[in-house]
Amino acid sequence: MNLFLSAFFSGTARGAIYAIVALGLVLVWRGAGIINFAQMGQAMFTTYIASTLIISGKSYWLAFVIALIAGAMLGALIDILVMRPLSRVHRAEALNSPAMKATIPVIASLGILGLLQALAGMFWVGQERGFPAPVAIEGLIVAGRKMPFTAFDIFTIAIVALVLVLTSLFFRKTGTGLAMRATALNQEVAKLSGIRTTQVRILSWIISGAASSLAGLLIAPSSILSPSSLDLILIIGFTAAVVGGLDSLPGAVLGGLIVGYVISFVNFYRSPEDIFLAILILLLVVLLVRPNGVMGSKQVRRV
Amino acid sequence: MTLEISHLTTQFGSVTAVDDISFTAKASEITTVIGANGAGKSSLLRTISGLEKPSSGSIKWNGRELIGLKPEAIVRLGVAHVPEGHAVISELTVAENIAMGGLFRRRKNRADLESASKEVYELFPRLEERRKQLAGTLSGGERQMLAIARALVARPQLILLDEPSLGLAPLVVEQIIATVNDLCRKTGLSVLLVEQNAITALGVADQGVLLSLGKVVADRPAKELRADATLRAAYLGY
Repeated sequence: MNLFLSAFFSGTARGAIYAIVALGLVLVWRGAGIINFAQMGQAMFTTYIASTLIISGKSYWLAFVIALIAGAMLGALIDILVMRPLSRVHRAEALNSPAMKATIPVIASLGILGLLQALAGMFWVGQERGFPAPVAIEGLIVAGRKMPFTAFDIFTIAIVALVLVLTSLFFRKTGTGLAMRATALNQEVAKLSGIRTTQVRILSWIISGAASSLAGLLIAPSSILSPSSLDLILIIGFTAAVVGGLDSLPGAVLGGLIVGYVISFVNFYRSPEDIFLAILILLLVVLLVRPNGVMGSKQVRRV
Repeated sequence: MTLEISHLTTQFGSVTAVDDISFTAKASEITTVIGANGAGKSSLLRTISGLEKPSSGSIKWNGRELIGLKPEAIVRLGVAHVPEGHAVISELTVAENIAMGGLFRRRKNRADLESASKEVYELFPRLEERRKQLAGTLSGGERQMLAIARALVARPQLILLDEPSLGLAPLVVEQIIATVNDLCRKTGLSVLLVEQNAITALGVADQGVLLSLGKVVADRPAKELRADATLRAAYLGY
């Protein structure tokens, strides 16, 4: 029973982080139509910034907030400096087909990933670092009994829950949130309604960037920090997004949790080596049974 | 508040959809653009609202050139476009679709925006009843009403309506056209109505512009167009 509970709590905490990663991916996919392969590069870079601040004696919370702001700014920069200019390039006929238009930003995001990893290697000499957690990452002891979860698990779940509630309120209750949803669903009608879709797009990048940073900060304490240490998380987060349905925000959260549980239970009941096999099987099953993801919308034919 | 279009040409590749079109839509009048399928009516409206870039010509709204402005800027100048096919966002609720239309005015004039959405619901009580429903669950007529309501909540001075009658039952068409006519006569809203259904459109319009293959064939008071048997037979087939 204790093993089960340990796997459950660990799965919830990991799943919460994957949910944030998937949320970041889904936001940019819906807002800009781009699969952002640079996302965990952004997370790695801002986690290094936080790490450097902490090592220089600043408090964890200051570093935490600065990393989130840096993540938001990095997201905005990617849109302004790379994606927006790219979407305006119409010079060559060969680059103007819809297939190329969808491919170019993806290649650009891979380029950004490479750039961020190279820059991190230059700034921080590629050193592997540990990263602190604000609370203990060992098993929590309450009234003399070892609990099946750690204080950091609770911290992670609480902060992710808070972020998800705030995000959902933002999208449901504010005008800007409505503008973002409308733009994602039908850009033409959104424009005709006076919504400035360029601003909406940059906002998607900003929120996604901050979310990625948060994911980096929450993952780093239980792994090491190196320029490429978060690459695998992107694959897991992407699986979570696809499992949930790439165009659904609640789906991203659900997908994150499902993947988190799969990983955790495989890890506890079998061995860590089987984790990626399990993820692959999960992805295959979902794609076969529900190609649009658990909560993804069916392609509605528009007249 | 007049819309002056002169020598407007819009091309898609080698196809000239709008071919050197000139006409004026007068303030507080209904101007209808009629013509067969493929005459360039929708392309004309899409060019006015900034969705398509023309290759030459000019579109002056109140003396101000609209060409080169983005759609989101043009609607802010008081020109609202209701595109073809009951353009609403099916995944959003009725209330959200209407709120969306007024989003850009929410910071400048909140009180007026609230009264505007109240008026829109009074105009289309059916939408009030279905506020919480997803737009995708509405009937075709209700969706068209919602598309018009979405545009009206921005308090435009000119509304561009693209085939509001498309795919709707005659009774519903009559009701929608009557509402638009009322709006024009009572509030002074200018209307540019594109229709394939010429009988209905000429029935309410002040001025009629007849298009064929992207060119203006006739630009005359609607009454005269209605009475011209030769034109009717040649271009409208009734």
